[in-house]
Amino acid sequence: MTAFANRRLRVLLAKLGMDTHTIGVTVIAHALRDAGFEVIFTGLKQTAEMVANTAVQEDVDVVGVSSLSAAHMKHLPKLAEFLRQKGAGDKLLIAGGVVPLEDIPQLERAGVQKIFTMGTETKTIVDYLQTWWAAKLAAEQSGG
Amino acid sequence: MAIPNRHPDNPVRDALTPERSVSPLTDAFNAWQQNTQGPEVAKRGERQTPFKTQALHWPVHPLYTPLDLEAAGFDYQRDVGFPGEYPYTRSVNPNGNRSALWTMAQVTGFGRGTDWAKRARFMLDQGLQGLILEHDLATTNGYDSDDPLAEGEVGRAGLAIDSLEDLERAFDLPFDRLKYLMSVCNAPQPVNLAMIIAALEAKGVDPKQFVLHIVNGILIEYTCVGRYIYPPKHGLRIATDCFEYMIEHHPNWAPISIISAQLYAARANPVQELAFSLSIALQHIDALLERGHSIDKVAPYFHFVTGIDMDFFEGICKLRAFRKIWARLMRERYKATRPEAMKVRVMSSPGTMSLTLQQPLNNISRLAIMATACALGGVGETMTTPLHDEAHALPADEAIRVGAAIQHIVAHETGVADTIDPLAGSYYVETLTRQIEDAVMTEIDKIMAMGGALAAIERGYFQRELAREQCDRNRALEDGSRKLVGVNHLVHAEERREIPIFKLADEVEAEQIERLQELRKRRDQNAVDVALAAVRDAARSGTNLVPPCLVAVKAYATHGEICNAMRDVFGVHHPDAQTAGV
Repeated sequence: MTAFANRRLRVLLAKLGMDTHTIGVTVIAHALRDAGFEVIFTGLKQTAEMVANTAVQEDVDVVGVSSLSAAHMKHLPKLAEFLRQKGAGDKLLIAGGVVPLEDIPQLERAGVQKIFTMGTETKTIVDYLQTWWAAKLAAEQSGG
Repeated sequence: MAIPNRHPDNPVRDALTPERSVSPLTDAFNAWQQNTQGPEVAKRGERQTPFKTQALHWPVHPLYTPLDLEAAGFDYQRDVGFPGEYPYTRSVNPNGNRSALWTMAQVTGFGRGTDWAKRARFMLDQGLQGLILEHDLATTNGYDSDDPLAEGEVGRAGLAIDSLEDLERAFDLPFDRLKYLMSVCNAPQPVNLAMIIAALEAKGVDPKQFVLHIVNGILIEYTCVGRYIYPPKHGLRIATDCFEYMIEHHPNWAPISIISAQLYAARANPVQELAFSLSIALQHIDALLERGHSIDKVAPYFHFVTGIDMDFFEGICKLRAFRKIWARLMRERYKATRPEAMKVRVMSSPGTMSLTLQQPLNNISRLAIMATACALGGVGETMTTPLHDEAHALPADEAIRVGAAIQHIVAHETGVADTIDPLAGSYYVETLTRQIEDAVMTEIDKIMAMGGALAAIERGYFQRELAREQCDRNRALEDGSRKLVGVNHLVHAEERREIPIFKLADEVEAEQIERLQELRKRRDQNAVDVALAAVRDAARSGTNLVPPCLVAVKAYATHGEICNAMRDVFGVHHPDAQTAGV
């Protein structure tokens, strides 16, 4: 087991554009911290580029976007693109909130890897991230 | 035999010491508990351990008796008194709802911004005299439509306002019939106020025959919802400028509402909701008093909007305690003397927080129960009802009709509004009202010890308290300790749970941006620059911001430009995670 393997998962939680509804992101932030993850919050009124910059500066593993406005189809593909441009395309980009099912395929094609829709329990998200993190660490260990 | 200490967190109960409890009623109560209730509980148990109120999680006892009131030192004249008289617990209105019912209102969205004037005309044709002017999120947050942050939001949640021209277009309304306009555009208030004043002038509206109501209780936005721009102390200064301008130039207008319901929707329990919103009101009042106004002049302008949740008695007692606490604060803290200063003005509303996306028809019964609680609690001046299908889409016509009918059913078919404050004297209601009052006063004292609401916001106290409630409530729903029908109880597994999102054509945004950019080309740029410099000067020097904003909007400086002029001086609010409570 390397020291690297003991590193805690670092998650950046973000709010994009004018969406200022914070209850969901607050509940998720606390649940992820309770699960032992490090959580960083961007604050409100962020552009996709601002979030991508923060993700790079903070060297996070996961970028999670809470979206409760209808502007997700504008912001999320842009965020995926900025992350790739900044050489951060390996970070896990996930989103949750009010996202209609019909929008999901397009968002997935744009590079959002998982979308948690309304009513998802916090445990589901924690489990998903733990599984992803374990797989990533295993891959890194076997790779190097 | 001693009465067990049934309520360790509650000082009211602590007063009931065994030594004092020597009345025959105490003996009878103890005998009942031991001989009659006790064996039943021993045999059948209780279906919950312990019983607690929904939001406050306060223990609910099996039985309330005169002993509870005695323990609390309840004094009829001091604690409740008479309607229309201090401390107004029973009603601020001397005849309750017997002379007239509360005003029945309904808040409905207007759909896309370009339809606003058309929709407003339609509502006026239905006999409404008042309208709510809702801006889109870009405008509410102080940005022009072509700002990158505004992408995808232009005209979506309300009217997009970039310049006075937009508002003049929207005000193509029959102002002979429109008597009241409420504006919910808080953070850019001097710009918003100036635009409305200028547009009304352009339409030749007599401001004395018309009431503009601005929400203006900006400090709430820093605790939840987040529609702020500048750091809180500058937000407060801006709100105070607007209040002062209005009472000086338009004393018949309504310069402030504290939207306490916003705290409720952010999961504040009744004690937090009242303590936070009241301490915020006190901060706004202190700012006005510092400018030399008297409490008797400014207090009557204060207005609150509160939400009533599904816990019937928490809601009823919250409304009763609200009236009494306001009266006490105004008299005891500020030495107000005018009755108008001590009568709290409240609009109450069944809450949206307990409405579920799942099984939406259930929401009609929830709304009826909450509306009944509002009525039993004394309502206030006005009640609004949300709509049972709000979570789903733009409200359907049927939902609008049902929403209006709920209030009429409560008012005309149940009799709850026919005698004033009908639950007064109930051992439980008076006990809970008093517990809420005491807890709110204690919480307000705590906030004052921090330096008041502004200081509490700056250090993130409210935000962290709300975050804790949000997480607790979510946990209770996830672990099933709180039951919500359709969500974690009586769930229909096959039910589709999706919210259709209103999709607005991209052309609306493109057209709005085109109009804005075309305006910037043809206006007198020099006049705009001079006007914006004057806004910066006022921001810096501390003179009232409304007059230079009036000049700027008339020169067709844009909404975002004027907000930016103030950003140049005030900076922007960007709390860290700790302060935001996230």
